[in-house]
Amino acid sequence: MQSGPRNSAHFFINAATVAAELSVVLTEAKNISLEAMNAKALVARAGDNVRTFKPITDFMVELANDTIWLVKEINREALTLSRNSLADLHSADAHERFKKAQERSKTAAFGDTLDSIAQEASNRHHQQTMQLRRHMRKLFELLDEIESRMLAANVVTATSRLEAATAADSYQASLEGIVVKLEKAANRIKHIASKCRHSLER
Amino acid sequence: MKVVKLHESRSHEWLVFGRDEERPSKIIDTNQYMIKTTNHAIMLDPGGIELFSAMLAAVVHHVPVQQITHLFASHQDPDIISSLGLWDKTLPHAELHAPWLWEGFLRHFGCNSIKYNPLPDEGKSIRLDEVELQFIPAHYMHSSGNFSVYDPQAKILMSGDIGAALLPDGAPLFVEDFDAHVDKMRLFHQRWMPSNRAKKDWIRRVRQLDIKYMAPQHGAIFRDRDVVRFLDWLDELEVGTGIA
Repeated sequence: MQSGPRNSAHFFINAATVAAELSVVLTEAKNISLEAMNAKALVARAGDNVRTFKPITDFMVELANDTIWLVKEINREALTLSRNSLADLHSADAHERFKKAQERSKTAAFGDTLDSIAQEASNRHHQQTMQLRRHMRKLFELLDEIESRMLAANVVTATSRLEAATAADSYQASLEGIVVKLEKAANRIKHIASKCRHSLER
Repeated sequence: MKVVKLHESRSHEWLVFGRDEERPSKIIDTNQYMIKTTNHAIMLDPGGIELFSAMLAAVVHHVPVQQITHLFASHQDPDIISSLGLWDKTLPHAELHAPWLWEGFLRHFGCNSIKYNPLPDEGKSIRLDEVELQFIPAHYMHSSGNFSVYDPQAKILMSGDIGAALLPDGAPLFVEDFDAHVDKMRLFHQRWMPSNRAKKDWIRRVRQLDIKYMAPQHGAIFRDRDVVRFLDWLDELEVGTGIA
């Protein structure tokens, strides 16, 4: 994990882009939730025929809810990060301008009256950078979490396939359809999370 | 940054800052003014963000930075006051005198600590120690909320964009040949000033003042007789020519 942005000038754009891309994840998570409802209805109708599928539908509901929550958190954090990186950029700019004024006023009668102001600007910039790093760490943690959830989803889809294969013929196709949709959604979310991570690491 | 003293008396000094050699290219040259009284200083149209470092460095040759307690912005343009966010960090206890009309806009430059003193349309006066400064309405000259500053003791009128000229680098700070200078001002006034009625109103107000120097925010400063010549020239000039 990277501890800080390499280039704040691009970083605030990347962070805002991450927030925008996450809207797709939210749609996928809502699709999972919908499929989970379908699966639950199917399991209720099929009764003992697909009893072993019930824990899987429970997992899907949990996965969808967790993903929706995580996406909202990531979205909030990404927007905060975008704002912070812009503030960091401004504070770096102010710091540079005060430093330049200090250098240019070395021989000025009242040049020393700038010292405390320039120091304050430097402190503010340092604080902004620290804050930016904290938010960035938090965002990476959230992306880690969403990726690990999707890995778990992959394991569950493998198990679900086996369960679907053993179900009664009349339910097999429907259950396999649900598994395929879950797998696709999980892969898409994983792909977007990975893309977001790369955007932030650029 | 070139600094010239326009006026010096027991009560106060007028300084003009301009002709910055390190100014980034493609940025219009500007004149910034500072009035220094016994305990205070006010900066008039302190300039754009790109000029901030040079201005701050130049200013502390003349006053401790904490003595700058007031800022004035004639209007909202970036070359006038886009440095506000940085002055806000430099002078958190200062007051900004600027048209009421632009408050919501000027705050976009960053005005978290500085106190915004909105100037009413009819203008007002303030006193810094023994010095009275009058904010003279100059609306639509060129901005819809616009003021000039007049100092009756020093007889200096800071006219903002009125009297501005687009001059080449290294041009003299004072008008030396009025007739030749007219060519450098004509297009600016015709295109930037939108209203003949507003122009007449400003000229009427200003003709009542005793002016030794008329100090614009761009170009060269008018002295004595050239002030009247300028007013006569502007009076005759058709403005608002952008509409073909």
